[in-house]
Amino acid sequence: MSSNKVLVIGGGPAGLEAARSAAELGGEVILLEKRERLGGTPDRENYAKLTHHWRDASEAMAELADAATNSPNVEVKYQTEVKGMSGSVGDFTVDVEVGGVAESLIVGSIIVATGFQHFDPGRATQYYNYYTFPDVITLTDLEKMLREHKVVRPSTGEAPKKVAFIQCVGSRDRQIGNEYCSKVCCGIASKQAIEIREQLPDSKVMIFYIDMRMYGYWENEIYWPAQEKYKVNYVKGVISEVLPKGDQLLIRGEDTTMSRPMEVTMDMVVLSVGMEPSAGTRAIAQTLGIQQNKYGFIESGGSGGLDPVATSVEGIFVAGAAAGPADLDDSISSAGLAAARAVASVRKALATA
Amino acid sequence: MSELTTVEQILERKSHAVTRNPEQAPSHDIREALYELEAKGEIVLHKMPENHVEVMTKFGRTKRIPIEHTWHHKSCGQCGHIPGYTSSIFWLHRQFDLDYLDPTDQTSCTGWNYYASATSNAAAQAAVMVRNFAAAYETGYFPVIHCGTSYGHYKEVREQLVHHKELRDEVRRVLDKMGKPLVLPEELVHYSEWVHVMRHKFAEKQTVDMSKITATVHPACHYYKIVAEDAIYDPEIYGGQRTATVTGTLQALGINVADYSTWFDCCGFGFRHVLVQRDFTRSFSTLRKIEVMKNEVNPDVTVTHDTGCVTTLDKSQFSAKAHDRNVGIPVLSDAQVAALAMGAHPFRVVQFHWHSTDWRPFLDKLGIDWQKYWDEFQEDLDAIRAGKKSGITWEDADKPVLNV
Repeated sequence: MSSNKVLVIGGGPAGLEAARSAAELGGEVILLEKRERLGGTPDRENYAKLTHHWRDASEAMAELADAATNSPNVEVKYQTEVKGMSGSVGDFTVDVEVGGVAESLIVGSIIVATGFQHFDPGRATQYYNYYTFPDVITLTDLEKMLREHKVVRPSTGEAPKKVAFIQCVGSRDRQIGNEYCSKVCCGIASKQAIEIREQLPDSKVMIFYIDMRMYGYWENEIYWPAQEKYKVNYVKGVISEVLPKGDQLLIRGEDTTMSRPMEVTMDMVVLSVGMEPSAGTRAIAQTLGIQQNKYGFIESGGSGGLDPVATSVEGIFVAGAAAGPADLDDSISSAGLAAARAVASVRKALATA
Repeated sequence: MSELTTVEQILERKSHAVTRNPEQAPSHDIREALYELEAKGEIVLHKMPENHVEVMTKFGRTKRIPIEHTWHHKSCGQCGHIPGYTSSIFWLHRQFDLDYLDPTDQTSCTGWNYYASATSNAAAQAAVMVRNFAAAYETGYFPVIHCGTSYGHYKEVREQLVHHKELRDEVRRVLDKMGKPLVLPEELVHYSEWVHVMRHKFAEKQTVDMSKITATVHPACHYYKIVAEDAIYDPEIYGGQRTATVTGTLQALGINVADYSTWFDCCGFGFRHVLVQRDFTRSFSTLRKIEVMKNEVNPDVTVTHDTGCVTTLDKSQFSAKAHDRNVGIPVLSDAQVAALAMGAHPFRVVQFHWHSTDWRPFLDKLGIDWQKYWDEFQEDLDAIRAGKKSGITWEDADKPVLNV
């Protein structure tokens, strides 16, 4: 028996937008969220401002969540995990545990929106001594501080005078197998550099990069203001190591523009950590039997490569960063497309039932 | 919501060891390919002896280290420059009556040629490795490799052999002429991994108190950087952030391991520099390693686990000393330190006299009357000169002599 329901797995930006869009297209949506609240990684990791129109992250996430939950066609199940799946397009049976209680859901199509996690600088061990030095932190660590308007050196609790960002940590790195660009880190680092300069006007901020990949309008919205208005210094060069020097950090590397080695002391070093598939994304791929790419993200693109939300199983679609590195624009766009495909596949299945 | 502040949360996270999931390892597990090749009849797989220990490697996979029934692939540099390194490894085995074989038909790995771009061709160097492994297989004893260069080199050659059928075919053709099979061992094992898994046993037999000693550790690049996923990591040692070998052994023996900022740097040996840019090697070794250790923590000894590292760090110091640099740290291998801790004779076994940086202050600090043992060693030499004996034997050296 075919079902007209669309199951959305994951309550982050992509999942919320997919649920809203599918509902607006007339679909009956069940939205599953592992945690007890919606908002995904931006909420869990306490994002401050979004590169997207410089919006307050919690306000933007609340808006997305309200748009989904206020729809009469969306049922949200919190603290829910998918345990198994059988059937095929139009008639999937999905076994879930809702707050520890087993339940079976009959749905016509599925949208996977289980997202990403930030690269752990300890996963491949000792990235710039993150686990050794308190003042080596990550983008997500700094994001929390920016949100609280309390940017301090963890070692002293004092405001840093000199801050360095190191780009491409866990991205574009063949050694650890993450050969891909994570897309968002250049924009986020530049955004955070501006915020540091706003909150700590006496500070100096430098960004060490391989290439600055400022997609689309980030170029004029973030990159140039960072340099021209906020006086952030961009240095093209690879940092080889971070070492202690007195109570500061010494960063050592190569200034490729000047073709010479360099050493600079800093109060705080921020690692621009990239994106990896979340544990939820890896697990759901196994549970649903959908193919993953070599990095663990959900394989997408369909047979012709031009359907970015199609997975290897008909009737199961993917949205957002579960399919690979994506910013909010990408995630929301793919969520809308996944919603359209999911509703359409349910209707086709019902029509041929 | 957590009651910790943001800073407290950051520090809390850093205070825990990173958990590693082999499922997320960025590298493949080459052993799976070995089993596939064995199943196809392409190679003979030399199986791990029953008496072995399992340890964790970098990405959380398990590696097996044999305890005994081992075939010792010795190091050209150790035997030639620092023979106390090799004799200490064997002495340690003998203290536990462990079955080992010191073969006489082992050849050089030719790794130095490889790293200096002087190797003849891929098939020749792979055939050299496989011939050694075939020789081990014929005895039934499992290979353990003393030299870091050989260990790293063999791991690279193993990768080539696994992935290139045409190379396997060529190597098999060479081995056929010698009547030997194409053998690869299930694991490539470095001697320092054996030392690591034996470290607590060593501590049980320790007769020399080492608690006054501060040591720095130089982890050998060839051991853990070339094929990174195969080295031992332990969540209890540097939070699993650095290879655990050597550091774990020293800590088990009660030595204070001090950190220094250039721990990650090469010893100066390089992969080719010691052969083609020796001045660079001397400068790097003394100014980037030894002097940094001296300035930052002033250790009594620095300890490492490779031939090239011990020789380079030790025997480069004379040149920096001539320029009044702040050097002068004795350099030993983990096996030599372990043997000394268990009471091995400083000259018959550990053979300090082959080391060029002054080691006397180190032995003084341990309370070892090195002059007494030097005199004994001189008597050995007198006896050899007088034709009363042909050399020092295990009968002379087996018994632990130190108890301080």
